[in-house]
Amino acid sequence: MRIKFWGVRGSIPVPGKTTIRYGGNTSCMQVLPQDGTILIVDAGTGIRKLGKELMQGRCGRGEGDIHLLISHTHWDHIQGLPFFAPSYREGNKITVYARGRDDAHLNVVLKSATQDPYFPIPFDDVQAEAAYRELTEGESFDIGACRVQCTRLNHPWIALGYRIQEGDKAVMYVSDTAPFSDVLLEHDFISSPPQPGDLPLPDQAQKLVQMEEDLVALCRGGDVLVYDTMFTEDEYRQRPHWGHSAPAHAVDIARRAGVGRLVLFHHAPNRNDEEVDEILADIRKRAPDLEITAAAEMAELEI
Amino acid sequence: MKITFWGVRGSIPAPGPETVRYGGNTLCIELRTANEELVIIDAGTGLAQLGNALLPSGFGKGQGKAAMMLSHAHMDHIQGFPFFAPIYIPGNQFTIYGREKAPGRLEAIFEGQMNPHFSPVHSLKNLGADFEFESLHQQTSNEACGLTVRCLTVPHGSTTALAFRFTEAGRTLCVATDAGYPEAAIADEVIEFFRGADVLVHDCTYTPEDQAERRNRGFSSIAEAAQVATRAGVGHLVMIHYDQDYSDDQVDSLRDRCREMLDQAGGKDILLTASQEGMTLEV
Repeated sequence: MRIKFWGVRGSIPVPGKTTIRYGGNTSCMQVLPQDGTILIVDAGTGIRKLGKELMQGRCGRGEGDIHLLISHTHWDHIQGLPFFAPSYREGNKITVYARGRDDAHLNVVLKSATQDPYFPIPFDDVQAEAAYRELTEGESFDIGACRVQCTRLNHPWIALGYRIQEGDKAVMYVSDTAPFSDVLLEHDFISSPPQPGDLPLPDQAQKLVQMEEDLVALCRGGDVLVYDTMFTEDEYRQRPHWGHSAPAHAVDIARRAGVGRLVLFHHAPNRNDEEVDEILADIRKRAPDLEITAAAEMAELEI
Repeated sequence: MKITFWGVRGSIPAPGPETVRYGGNTLCIELRTANEELVIIDAGTGLAQLGNALLPSGFGKGQGKAAMMLSHAHMDHIQGFPFFAPIYIPGNQFTIYGREKAPGRLEAIFEGQMNPHFSPVHSLKNLGADFEFESLHQQTSNEACGLTVRCLTVPHGSTTALAFRFTEAGRTLCVATDAGYPEAAIADEVIEFFRGADVLVHDCTYTPEDQAERRNRGFSSIAEAAQVATRAGVGHLVMIHYDQDYSDDQVDSLRDRCREMLDQAGGKDILLTASQEGMTLEV
C-alpha cells in the first residue's frame, strides 16, 4: 500500500513562492492499496489535481468507483470537491463517507456548499453517481480489500480520524484534532481559551480521556500516522480552543500506540517552507525514536 | 484611483511552481481612492494576503474602515473572507455591497459561509468587526468612499455577475471579472457601460479554443475581452481571472495573443496588461 499527498495545508490554500516545496493546497491524501481501489481522504483543493490524474485511467472512461472519506466538512476539507473532474463523467460512482449528524444529512451539507450562490452545480446533480455513507464513530467497514475504522477527534463540530488497513499494513489519518487535555470541542462555539488553571468539567474530562484512548487504540500497531500539526506548542497554548495540535502531541500519540512513522500534516497557512523545515528538524531531534517527515504535495510514501 | 491585485485566478486557487509569477490566489482587487479610502473588489483568497498587509495600518488597531463590493458570491469571490484578519478586530467597520436586492440576503450568504458545518467561526456574530450590508442599485449611481459607482448585470453561466464602473475626478475604472456573453453578440448595453473607460479590468479566463469547449461555464475568452475593449474605446485593458489550469507561460501567450487581437481589431492604441499578484496600477 502507498499513500500520496495532494494537499497538505490547513485553513486556506496559500499559493506563492514561499510554499512551493511543501505545497499550498488544502487537505487531500490518496491511499493506493495494492488491489487498485480508488480511496481518497478529504477533498481540499488538492483533490483537483488528483482528479485530473484519475481521469487518465478508469475514471476517464466512466468506470471509476471512488471512495472519499471526509474527516469533517470545514471548507479546507471539502472546497476542492466541485473541481474534482471524475464527478462530471457519467458512469463514475463516488461514495462519500463522513460522520453522521443529528442536524443534517451529509448530502444536504455538501449540496448547500455547492449550490447557488456559492457554486453553479450542486454536488447532488453531478453526472457521476453520488452515494453517501454516514458513519458512527468507532465503526469498521470494508472498502475493497481495505478495512477502514474511524474514531472521534477533538475538533469544533467534531471530526473523524481514520485507520485504513490492507493486509498487515495500516495508515492512520488524524486531522483535525486538538490534544485531549485542555478543552472539549463539540458543538458550541468557544470564543476564548480557558483561563490558566481552568480544568475541563469532570464529564468533559472523562470524554476527553475516552476520546484519546480510542484514538490510541485506533492507531495501535499501525505503520504510518498522518497527524494535524498545524500549531507550534506556543501557538497551541494561545489557541487550545481552535482544535489543532503541535508535533509534540502527535509524537505522544504515536509512541503510546507503538507507531514508528509519523507524518506532520495540515501545515499552517502562514508557514513558509523554511519554517516547516525548522519544525521538522526540531521534532526529529526531540523524538529520535520515531521516523518523522513533513507531508509535501505530490510526495508518495510506501507503507 | 490606484488598484492593486491580490488575486487574479478564477474558479479555485491554483498553488504550485507553475503559477508563482501571475499568482494562484482567487479574485481580490484593492482600490484606493484619491483620499486613500479603501474599496475591496471581491473576496477570493487574495483577500487573506491583503488582510495581512493591512494589519500594520489602522486595521490592526481596530480603526479601519473599508467598503467591499462583490461581483457575485461564487466561492472564488468570497472564500478569502473568513481569513481576512481585520474582521476579527473590534472597531473595524466594513460595508459590504452586493447585487442582492435585499441586504439581508447578502448577509445570509456570508452567514451561510460561516455556518458551523463549514467554519469554526459559526456565525458573523462571532467576528469582532462591525458589518453593514447594502444593495447596489443597478439603475442609478451609487456613492461609496467618495466614488461614483455604477453597476451592470452581465451573464455568467447559469447566473449573473456585476460589472462595476468607478468614477473619480474624471477618471474611470471598469471591472468585469466574470462575463459569459452570448455566442451571437455582445450587447450594445455592455459596450456602452464600458465606454471610454481609462482602465478596463476584464475577464480573460480562456483562449478562444478552450472557451469553445466550455462556453456554458460563463467566462470570456481573450477574443471577447479584446472585442469589448476595442468597441468601447477603452484606454487600457487589464486581463484577469485566468483559468486554474493555465501556467505562467500559458498566461504569457494568452497576453501575446490578446495583443495581436487588439491590434487586428483596430485597438493598436489600447494598452494591454496581464494582471499579476502584487501589481499596482494608477487609473
